[in-house]
Amino acid sequence: MSETKNIYKPIRAKLLEVITESPTIKTFVMEPEEAFSFKTGEFIELTVDGIGEAPFTPSSSPLETKQIEVTVMKTGYVTEYLHNMKAGETLGIRGPFGRGYPVERFYDKEVLILGGGCGFAPIRSLLYNLAAISDKLKKVTLCYGAKTPDECIYRPYVDQLRNTPKFEVHRTVDDPDETWTENVGVATVLLDKININIKDSIAVCCGPPIMMKFGTQKLLEMGYPDHDIYLSMEKNMSCGLGKCGHCMMGKYFVCKEGPVFTYDEIKDQPDIWS
Amino acid sequence: MNDVTDMKNYYSLLISDWEKAIAQLLEDYSIYAPIENSDSIDYEFIDTEHIPEIIYNIPKPTTPLKTFFLPVKENLTSQGKLNSKRIIIGTPNCDIQGLGILDEIYLDKDYIDHAYKTKRDKTILISSSCFETQEHCHCMIYGINPYAKTIADISLSRVDQKVHLEVLSDKGEYFIQQLKDKTAISNSPESEIKDIELKQSKIENQIIADNPGLPDYKKTGKIVEKASDEIWKKYSSTCVSCGACATICPTCTCFLLVDKPNFEKVRQLDACQYPGFERVAGGEDALGALPRRFQNRYFCKYVWKPQKFKSLACTGCGRCIEACIGKINKNELFREVAN
Repeated sequence: MSETKNIYKPIRAKLLEVITESPTIKTFVMEPEEAFSFKTGEFIELTVDGIGEAPFTPSSSPLETKQIEVTVMKTGYVTEYLHNMKAGETLGIRGPFGRGYPVERFYDKEVLILGGGCGFAPIRSLLYNLAAISDKLKKVTLCYGAKTPDECIYRPYVDQLRNTPKFEVHRTVDDPDETWTENVGVATVLLDKININIKDSIAVCCGPPIMMKFGTQKLLEMGYPDHDIYLSMEKNMSCGLGKCGHCMMGKYFVCKEGPVFTYDEIKDQPDIWS
Repeated sequence: MNDVTDMKNYYSLLISDWEKAIAQLLEDYSIYAPIENSDSIDYEFIDTEHIPEIIYNIPKPTTPLKTFFLPVKENLTSQGKLNSKRIIIGTPNCDIQGLGILDEIYLDKDYIDHAYKTKRDKTILISSSCFETQEHCHCMIYGINPYAKTIADISLSRVDQKVHLEVLSDKGEYFIQQLKDKTAISNSPESEIKDIELKQSKIENQIIADNPGLPDYKKTGKIVEKASDEIWKKYSSTCVSCGACATICPTCTCFLLVDKPNFEKVRQLDACQYPGFERVAGGEDALGALPRRFQNRYFCKYVWKPQKFKSLACTGCGRCIEACIGKINKNELFREVAN
């Protein structure tokens, strides 16, 4: 009998660096011990040894194959342990899983990206990918919202992006301080300020559920058709293999058929925003 | 022509010879079969003295067949010894057909589950036709016969002092070859096959007669979609989220991965009826409210899984009705909403 690959066994990855992005968000730079690659928008299951496993979409470039980064907000049991880890320790990785962003469908278009909070993580990976193929794109507009200026992550990368031809960045915070010079309000307010040719564009949305809900509503009002709104859905993906049932969203296993869906695909399924 | 083929695949032997052959097979196989205990009939590990106690052709044992392939708890990463070869005798067709959807999920070619596959490969399934029914049996209403023609390897019928074995698969054929090495076995006479078919059709008719007005599987999805919030509230009002319905269900397969040191993963069966099943770290929980959680199981079985899989996600075994300590009867819900 031929040996079947063990789909539950993580490969080991050495934690090279921990970058503090905000008071609650850190980026973990890892080097997998075995060859590992992913397409932007696909996710991995990250194991903190003996503690637990949680799904994250890498925030690094899919073109970088030696190292992989995930950006994690401290919100629960596993992420609490993760946030206490130091360079040199070992993590486990399974994946990549699911269906990522169909970048080839963005060719010759304007790409509007709406992101909120830690939802910038998968978006940064997508932006790296789009920057590498920018000759095939018309324009990329990022609208990003966070609660406070402190919670605005990837500041050096945002500066870099602002100096990249064809890329435009708009940011907003709910609760500004005296140093904040950009927009104020929830992420969707930025959509009123941008100049985009909707007929010739697609929209990507990734963030907390409440932002996804109102963001999608706003994009629909702006005139985006259902099939041109790409949503990165968040459910309790556990096995990543379409088996354990925890991430069922109606007829879909989000882990296998998602996590990236068009609004058209999921609008009739239950509880898409929770 | 069909009759000839069928006869070729039908073998019979005396019960005494069958029992002797089983005793010999114990040298190579672990054998499990239903035995009557103090207050239930359930699968037991069979040793020599248990062989005469095996009960054939009865409706479902207490435990669903799935637990042989998805144990309550199982380490998925330790490279332990491979499971030994097994024979499971006496499984009714509701449970056999329940394996269909498990096969679709766990043998999905994109991600083959090695633990499940190993157990599946190493098990010979000897189903037995039901010659009796139980109060909540309703397989026929969902299009499942009370005897196996697929998925199992052999279909067994015990009539008087004879055991008849119908071969359903290559593995079943292999089993017959092994039996031939051990005992006298011959093709079943046509008249005896007819007797078995008569018994089977009697049970089919009885199951239909026992379930008047119960909507069939083609209608259940629409009924679930039509049911009002009041219905879900009413039927879930005595639910205590114990998860017995899912635990005992031959097709419920959801699980939890539990982490152990050294990157080991332990699979533990889970159920959408437990609070927190869908909760994410951020706190969102689509199934937080009990009626919503209760409703989820019906949508999963009768609306979503049928859109996704070929096999049925409810085989009409009726165990969930028997197991419910809140006395919730899904068939009453279907009848009420249908009318």
